[in-house]
Amino acid sequence: MAMAALRREGRRLLVSSVSGDSSVAARSAILSDSELGPMGARSISTQAVRNRMKSVKNIQKITKAMKMVAASKLRAVQVRTENSRGFWQPFTALLGDNPSVDVKKTVIVTITSDKGLCGGINSTSVRVSKALYKLTSGPEKDTKYVILGEKGKVQLMRDSKSSIEMNITELQKNPLNYTQVSVLADDILKNVEYDALRIIYNKFHSVVSFLPTVSTILSPETVEKESEGGKLGDLDSYEIEGGETKAEILQNLAEFQFSCVLFSAVLENACSELGARMSAMDSSSRNAGEMLDRLTLTYNRTRQASITTELIEIISGASALTG
Amino acid sequence: MASTAAAVPFWRAAGMTYITYSNICASLVRGCLKEPYRSEAVSREQVHFIVSKWANGKPEKPSIRSDSPEV
Repeated sequence: MAMAALRREGRRLLVSSVSGDSSVAARSAILSDSELGPMGARSISTQAVRNRMKSVKNIQKITKAMKMVAASKLRAVQVRTENSRGFWQPFTALLGDNPSVDVKKTVIVTITSDKGLCGGINSTSVRVSKALYKLTSGPEKDTKYVILGEKGKVQLMRDSKSSIEMNITELQKNPLNYTQVSVLADDILKNVEYDALRIIYNKFHSVVSFLPTVSTILSPETVEKESEGGKLGDLDSYEIEGGETKAEILQNLAEFQFSCVLFSAVLENACSELGARMSAMDSSSRNAGEMLDRLTLTYNRTRQASITTELIEIISGASALTG
Repeated sequence: MASTAAAVPFWRAAGMTYITYSNICASLVRGCLKEPYRSEAVSREQVHFIVSKWANGKPEKPSIRSDSPEV
């Protein structure tokens, strides 16, 4: 409370001093340059501090605006994300999520954002991807990256250039929709060979907490192998209707599962990105405010000191004349 | 039921994945809507992203996929 009042006061002082005393300050600056040497107390220029204050104030305005933009976008995306959870939950119930499955060809789909200034969510998913790469790679194994978003590409280009297979950007130019993501999923499926796809994204928990998450999607062959006595033993208890064979059904299911899970992963990550940006911008506006307080204090102190010096000079001059 | 069972080999033989097939179906269903809802639904069909494939540790020329719902 007191802090807020102090800040308000500081701003008021700042505004009045900039508007009212600018001529005084300018004069003292000129005086100090031309007439007084570096020894005089009046030579302390307030110009630098004032410029600094102005720029900090502008930065604070920008970060505040960015925070508000992120907050309003977040609300829309959050609703869609929560609605999209109904997409993948049935699949997880049916096919399960088997992060421990051991296969030859793994494709790691790393989801990051295109824009920065959103805290550590991109580095988190890159870090998890790298760890997963180490886990899944080995002799006779093949692991590739498919990267969504500019930031992940930049980070992974440094040390794992040769394993990048595809890179997709500008996904969020229009509001995210399922058609778009499914076309993308189709592109990925056509261009990579996989036994398991592992999607890495930041699951949105609340505005300040995001969980790096791995979703595993198995290829139809792997599912079939696992369902015969493996980890997916329950799948055979389902009855298959219609004329298709189990392999056909599984292929359709795996493709559709991938696009659904990718859709919800992209949405969750967009949600986390906005949330992270919101809190990052919040803390940077706060930092700018604190910095501004400190600068205002310095500025006012310097100003007061120069005024005091001037007064002393005048008074002592007058008393020397009369005395 | 019989028609869908018969249709499966056709689109699979044409090199489509289930995703493409379901997208075409979805777009047809959207086309059946009446007006205020229809344009709203069509706006949810917009596609825009840039894909670049990588070969030997270098990105190839990116290709833009935009506003063509890939049907």
